[in-house]
Amino acid sequence: MIFLRSTRNELIKIALKPRSYLGLAAITGLVGIILFALKADGMSMISFVTSSFEQTLRFEGNLLNGNLVAFIVLQMLIVHIPLLVALVTGDLISGEAAMGTLRLLVSKPISRTQLLLSKFLAGGIYTLLIVLWLGFLAVVVGQWLFGIGDLMVLNSDGLVILQADDVNWRYAGGFCVAFLALLTVSSLSITLSCFSDNSIGPIVSTMAIILLFTIIGTLDVPIFDPIRPYLFTTHMASWRSFFEDPMPWESIRNSIYILVGHNLLLIGISLLTFHRKDITV
Amino acid sequence: MPDSIISIRHLAKRFGHFEAVKDLSLEVHPGDVYGFLGPNGAGKSTTMRCMLSLIKPDRGGIQLFGKNLQQERSAILARVGCLIEKPDFYKFLSAYRNLDLFANISGKPSTKKEIYEMLEFVGLQGREKDKVGGFSHGMRQRLGIAQTLLHNPDLIVLDEPTTGLDPQGIIDMRNLILRLKTEQHKTIVFSSHNLSEVEILCNRMVIIHQGKNIVEGSVQELLNEQEQVIRVQTDSGFLDAALTLCHTLPKTSHTKKLGLDGFEVSMAKSDIPAFNQALVSAGIPVYSVETKRKLEDYFINLLHA
Repeated sequence: MIFLRSTRNELIKIALKPRSYLGLAAITGLVGIILFALKADGMSMISFVTSSFEQTLRFEGNLLNGNLVAFIVLQMLIVHIPLLVALVTGDLISGEAAMGTLRLLVSKPISRTQLLLSKFLAGGIYTLLIVLWLGFLAVVVGQWLFGIGDLMVLNSDGLVILQADDVNWRYAGGFCVAFLALLTVSSLSITLSCFSDNSIGPIVSTMAIILLFTIIGTLDVPIFDPIRPYLFTTHMASWRSFFEDPMPWESIRNSIYILVGHNLLLIGISLLTFHRKDITV
Repeated sequence: MPDSIISIRHLAKRFGHFEAVKDLSLEVHPGDVYGFLGPNGAGKSTTMRCMLSLIKPDRGGIQLFGKNLQQERSAILARVGCLIEKPDFYKFLSAYRNLDLFANISGKPSTKKEIYEMLEFVGLQGREKDKVGGFSHGMRQRLGIAQTLLHNPDLIVLDEPTTGLDPQGIIDMRNLILRLKTEQHKTIVFSSHNLSEVEILCNRMVIIHQGKNIVEGSVQELLNEQEQVIRVQTDSGFLDAALTLCHTLPKTSHTKKLGLDGFEVSMAKSDIPAFNQALVSAGIPVYSVETKRKLEDYFINLLHA
C-alpha cells in the first residue's frame, strides 16, 4: 500500500511541476510545425522522392496521407524525445536532494527500495504519456488532417509499400518498442540521478551518454563492432522494423531483450547505489 | 513500554578520513526532553541522521522503542516525527499538498480535516493553499513542525529547530516544545547550539565533542542547581563597600571584582533576593543583578578540559 501511495505522490509531484509540461508543449509545437509544413508543401516533397522511381513505378492515390505523415513525424522527433524525458526523470532523485526533501522522504517508514521503485514507476508512466501524446498527434491527428492511405516507406533495402489496413497495428507495435527505448532513457537518467545532488547533472549526463553511444554506434570502426549490438542506442530506432516487409521478428525480439535487460540492469544499479547512499544534504 | 526510547551503543561513523562520530553511546527515556549539545561539527547531526536511518553507521547499534533500527526500520520510523536541519519542502506545492504528500508515506495517512487542524495548531491557518515558495523561514519551520506532528509520533527529533528564527519565532518554538512535553507527554530529542535553550527545555542532555559523548545525564544534576554565580553592577564609588559587605555575609563565596563597577559572587539561588535587599539597605545602588549562565560555564570548562 505504501508503495502505491508513494507512486501517487510521485505522479502528483510530476503533474504539478511546470517542467513536466515542457515536453508535452514541445512535442505539440514540433508536431504542429511539421504537420503545417507538410500540409503547405508536402506534395512537392513527395514528388521529389517518387521522381527517382517514376521510370519503373507508377504511383496512384493519396501518397501524402496520415500514415506517411505519422511516419515522417516519428522519424524526425524520436531522436529529440529522450531530452524531454530526461528533463523530468533525471530530476526525480537529484532534484529532491537539491531541494532538501530527500532526507524527509528517506526518514519516513517507506523502504528505500519502495521509494526508488515508485520513482521508476512514475517516471515510466510519464514516459508512456509522452509516447501516447506523440502517437496521438502523429497518427490520430495526422490521419484526421491528411486522410488514410497506403504507407510508402523508403528504407535501406528500397521502397516498401504497406496497405492502409495493414498499418495501424504496426504503429501500435512500433510505439511499444519506442516506449521501451525511451523507458531505458528514463531508467538511465534516474540511475544517474542517484549519484548526484543537483538536478542538471543527470540530465546533461544522460544526453551525453546517448550522444556518445550514438556516435559509437554509427562510426564504422571495427573495434566497436563487438559492443555495438549491446548499446541501447542501437535499438532506439527498432520501431522502424515494424514498417519492413517481411517484418524482422528476430531483430525486434533481440532489441526488446536488450532494452529490457538495460532497464533491469539500471534499476539494479540504482537500488544498490540508493541503498548505500548517505543522505547528508 | 521499554525503559529506553532510544538506546545508542558505541556508534561510529566516518566520512572519508573524517571521523564524525566515535564510539558514542546514550539513552533517552520515555517522556524525556533530551538535548544534544555541542559545537559545530561535533557529531550531533550525524548521530541524529543515523537514528533516522539517513546515514548508515560504520559500527555500533541503534535501538528505538526497544527494537533494532536496521531490522525493524519501517515499524520504528512510523512512530517518529523529525525535522532535520532546514525545513525543506516542495516550493511549487501548497502547504496543504506538502503535508498531504508526506502524511501519505508516514505510516498513517491524514484526512483533510486533520491537515487543516494541524496547520491551525502551528499558526498557518489561512495559508493552506499558498505555495511554500512564498513562505518565510519561520513559516517553513512551522510547516516543518506540522509535518513532524501530523501522524502523532511518540518520538520527535528536532535538529536545531530554532536556527534562523526571529526572536518571536524562537519563543514560539520553545513554547511549542514545552506544550508537547507537558500536554502530550512526547519524548523529544533536539539539538541546539543555544545553551540556555537546553537549560530551559531539557530534563536530560548529552554534550558531544569531536564525535564523542563527553557527559550525559540530568540537566539539574549536571548543573548543580544549588549554586548560582551572579553578576552585580553597581556604582564605581560603592564597589569596595559592596565587596566588603559580600565578605561579611555568611552565605556568599567566591567574590570577584569585574571591572570598575561590578563584581561576581556565588550563592544559593534562594539567597539572591536577601542579598539584593542587603545591598540596597546598606545604601549601595544596584543597577543590575544577572545570573550567569551555568551551562555556558559548564560547557566551556568541559571542552577546555
